[in-house]
Amino acid sequence: MTQKPKVAFFDFSSCEGCQIELTNFGDADFLELLNHIDIVEFREAMSEKTDDIDIACIEGSFTRESEKDRLIAIRNRAKIVIAYGACAHTAGINALKNHTTDFKKAVYGQDADQPHLNSNDKALPISHVIKVDYFAPGCPMSKYEFLNIVSHLLHGKEPVIPTYPVCVECKRNETICRYDVGDHCMGQVAMAGCGAPCPSQGIPCEACRGFCEQANLTALENTLINKAGFSASRAKDKLRMFTNALLPDTSNP
Amino acid sequence: MNHHYITLKDFNLFLTKLVNQKIVYGPVARKNKFVFDLISSPEQLRLDYDVTILPPKKIFFPPKQHLLHFDGESYKDCLDPKEQIIMGVHNYDIKAIDQLDFLFKEKNPDDHYLLNRRKTTIIGSNIQTIAARSFWGSAGAGVEPKGHDGFLTKLKDGFVFETRTKKAENLVKFAKFIKAKKTQVEQAAQINTAVKKKCPAKLAYSSAEIAIKTRLAFKNNELWERLSKDCFSCGSCNTTCATCYCFDVQDSWNLDQKSGFRTRYWDSCMTVEFAKTSLGGGAVHNFRALRRERFRHRVMRKLVYLNDKLGGPACVGCGRCATACTADIADPVNIVKEIMEA
Ligand code: SF4
Ligand code: SF4
Ligand code: SF4
Ligand code: SF4
Ligand code: SF4
Repeated sequence: MTQKPKVAFFDFSSCEGCQIELTNFGDADFLELLNHIDIVEFREAMSEKTDDIDIACIEGSFTRESEKDRLIAIRNRAKIVIAYGACAHTAGINALKNHTTDFKKAVYGQDADQPHLNSNDKALPISHVIKVDYFAPGCPMSKYEFLNIVSHLLHGKEPVIPTYPVCVECKRNETICRYDVGDHCMGQVAMAGCGAPCPSQGIPCEACRGFCEQANLTALENTLINKAGFSASRAKDKLRMFTNALLPDTSNP
Repeated sequence: MNHHYITLKDFNLFLTKLVNQKIVYGPVARKNKFVFDLISSPEQLRLDYDVTILPPKKIFFPPKQHLLHFDGESYKDCLDPKEQIIMGVHNYDIKAIDQLDFLFKEKNPDDHYLLNRRKTTIIGSNIQTIAARSFWGSAGAGVEPKGHDGFLTKLKDGFVFETRTKKAENLVKFAKFIKAKKTQVEQAAQINTAVKKKCPAKLAYSSAEIAIKTRLAFKNNELWERLSKDCFSCGSCNTTCATCYCFDVQDSWNLDQKSGFRTRYWDSCMTVEFAKTSLGGGAVHNFRALRRERFRHRVMRKLVYLNDKLGGPACVGCGRCATACTADIADPVNIVKEIMEA
């Protein structure tokens, strides 16, 4: 690209934690990236708007009807769309409500009927509404992976994101498997690319990056029951944390 | 070459001197497991370990290895071999390293492996604690361990140190080794023979019988389907395997958009993407798209395909895959039993 590509950031239903991950200025890598791109919209940082965008980076899930038009408008202005963070990629923890009906009451109690709290029954990945070209998964997403994706795009190259499970990276780190210390883990079905930081810190993988290719969810339930001593219902519910919107019983809008 | 003897006390002094002057790796405790790691003082070295999470190949063939650095105009290889010693390698891993040495040398010699390997001194040690899932006593039983430089066998009050190369013989000057007595040498040999019978798990058939029957089972889809039903395609049975040698190569750019690294990572034929190939124009074909095909492939690689080339099976019976597989379906002992009884 001769001119610096125009990059814009948008946020939908999310905690905006992934933006914070990015706006971690003072980080030499991010400042270096700014030498190669023009940021034209960034809710957290600026206000001017432009009509054509080379790369639109979208954070957050689709959970209100009104968000549909906004997403479509962004898609129409953007050459490339990157969904960044679990909320945009898998609907993340917003989808925890997807298999329930009393979520408003549970969260807001007697204020549950206030109109501004209205949202769809299901939170969904933005890919349900618009075509997404690249995903930077994770809760929060890894800024290094994000930079790696943008860096590849600037070269006109396809970014390489692994499709295999977290276990591959966990073993390369020679981390003691959670199952070998009487714990549980979901790294066997989670998509790698994060470098398996959670098991290496002694906590289970919660599959915040969504599922790997051909994720064997039945086998995971069996393993959680047989090896980690979970009850059948807890084993089933375990998968809802970051991937509820991807499960067969909750994925249809 | 020679058989030396050293008392336990002098062995500690030997180690102290060695780790002060050389880069020494060996088995160390990590919580309830063992790993090969740098040794900085003698008490860290745990020659009583059962098995390590990853095999010792990681020291000269690391899970992630830069191959070359580029800056947009030129490139430079990242070869940087260092003199290093690996202490306490068990016989199954010695056999595995011997296989890797052969495989990385044949056809296109791989300098990123070979240069590191040549500078590495490998000192084996007898197996004092037997891992629960190991079956090295019966895996490739006819294959003798070779390719290592020296071997330590622990007797009651000291070690017999067999030196097989000059590299090992050079270590003797670091401490008070004396010539081993004939009885000590015999005792050491007897210890290493006797331990082979002590593995809890066993292959009940010869390597040749297993290879023939396994190859015949190739088209038994029902068998492979059943064995692989719970498989996660997570590759832990490859990434912990003493003899796996596949790697993936990726380029990554620094943010200056010019420089970067070409890096290789341990790969795994059990993952879905391993057998994906480009057909051009963005089209992709996966020639092992099914779980059962990938599962079968690993089994064939360990028990059949490489046997002629290596003079024995590519499985040395360390049992790491059996322990690492969270679905507990990777254990060659169970797989062989199913195949032989199918
Ligand atoms: S700790 Fe989790 S990610 Fe690591 S190997 Fe075990 S199951 Fe896989
Ligand atoms: S290890 Fe699992 S939970 Fe942790 S960052 Fe990776 S995918 Fe997310
Ligand atoms: S297949 Fe399993 S038992 Fe055999 S060498 Fe590999 S890890 Fe060890
Ligand atoms: S078993 Fe698979 S990963 Fe291991 S060396 Fe063979 S083909 Fe490679
Ligand atoms: S056999 Fe076990 S360790 Fe190997 S890929 Fe399947 S689940 Fe993972």
